[in-house]
Formats: sequence, structure tokens, C-alpha cells
Amino acid sequence: MWLKILGSLMVVTAGACIGFSLAAHYTERPRQIRQIISCLTALKSHINYTAIPLPEALSLCTGGITGPVTEMFHNMATLLSNNGRLTPQEAMSQALRQTKKLVLNKPEREILAVFSANLGGMNREEQHKSLDMVHEQLSRIQYDAEKLCEQNVRMYRYLGVCGGLAVVIVLF
Amino acid sequence: MGLDILFKIAGVGILISVFHTALKQAGKEDMAHLCTLAGFAMVLLWVVQLLGRLFTTVQDVFKLF
Repeated sequence: MWLKILGSLMVVTAGACIGFSLAAHYTERPRQIRQIISCLTALKSHINYTAIPLPEALSLCTGGITGPVTEMFHNMATLLSNNGRLTPQEAMSQALRQTKKLVLNKPEREILAVFSANLGGMNREEQHKSLDMVHEQLSRIQYDAEKLCEQNVRMYRYLGVCGGLAVVIVLF
Repeated sequence: MGLDILFKIAGVGILISVFHTALKQAGKEDMAHLCTLAGFAMVLLWVVQLLGRLFTTVQDVFKLF
């Protein structure tokens, strides 16, 4: 009997953990997009006013931000400074692949690819325009991600806990 | 037959209603209906077994074929 109760508790805990981790994915995505937007804004000022080399600007633009986004920008900066032949686009795609904790979906990855393709290949004004466009697109995606987060977070938490309870009831 | 099957069915009913509400609030009406249907099918399986037992008991009592 005690073994059964212990097993049931474990099943409910596992269900709750699954639900909460799925919900965490939805809360993490808008946060990371927001961080990317603030990094890009900082990068824009580094390109426009200080005119420092790209790897340095990429590692400086993450000031005050922690987490996978910082890791991604630092990875890109390291790749660019270590390997001179790498284009910013290749460096960005490699950095996106290397950073495991990023929870970005396909649209924002595509936008980042477009952004990195335009990076360093044009004059200052054009880069400014391109960064503005990327900023706008990311803001729209962030708005959508926040709406999705509001909808899904509570649902996944409820479903996780209740799914665990349902399995317990069926197996008990 | 114990009372435990009744409690089981009641528990599944409560949980399915919670599932339905959560899914409906998230705007997934189709999944909510699917979930309700799955719960109904599960409970129906248990009830059909019980009904089968009831019919065999009736057959035994009245000596029917």
C-alpha cells in the first residue's frame, strides 16, 4: 500500500514537472526575444557612435544581460575574432547551433539570419535601417510570443498536474 | 464489486472537467472536446465491463441461456 502511494506521488510529481517545464518554455521565449532586442539596440549605438570592430561590439552589447542570449552573442564574437574568414551570417548560425539553452523558434532564427547577413556588409546608414527593420520585426514576434505565453502557461501547468492525477487514478 | 470503481469514475470525471476548462480557456476547443471524448470512452470501458457482469448475474439468477 505504501509502495503504491509512493509510486502515485512520484507519478504526480513527474506530471507536474513536465507541465511546468513546458510552461517555462513559453515564459522563457518572450524574455529571450526582449533580451535580443535590447542587445540589438545597444549594438546599433555601438555601430553608429563608437564604430568599434564587430566582435568587440557584439561582446559589449550584452552589458547588463545574463543567460543564453549573452552566451550566443559571446559565442558569435569569439567565432568572429578567432576565425577571420567567417562571415557574420555563418558565425551567427554557428553560434545559434552552439547555444543549447536558446528557446527561439523558426521565425526569430530567420530574422537573426537576415540581420547577420546584412551586418558589416553595408555602410553605417544602411545598417542602421536594417537594424531598425529587425527591431520592428522582433517586436512584433515578441508581442505574439507574449500573447501565446498568457494563453498557454496556465494550461500546461494544469494539464501536467491533472494528467499525473489521471494516470494515478487509472493505475491505482 | 467495491465502491472503489465509483470513486475512480468520479475522479476521472472531475479531472476531465478540469482538463476541458483549462483547454477551453487556452482557446483549444477541439482539443477540449477530444479530451472529454477520451475520458468518456475510458469510463465507458469500465462501465461496459460492469454491465457485462450484471447481465451474467441476471442470467445466472433466472437460469436464462
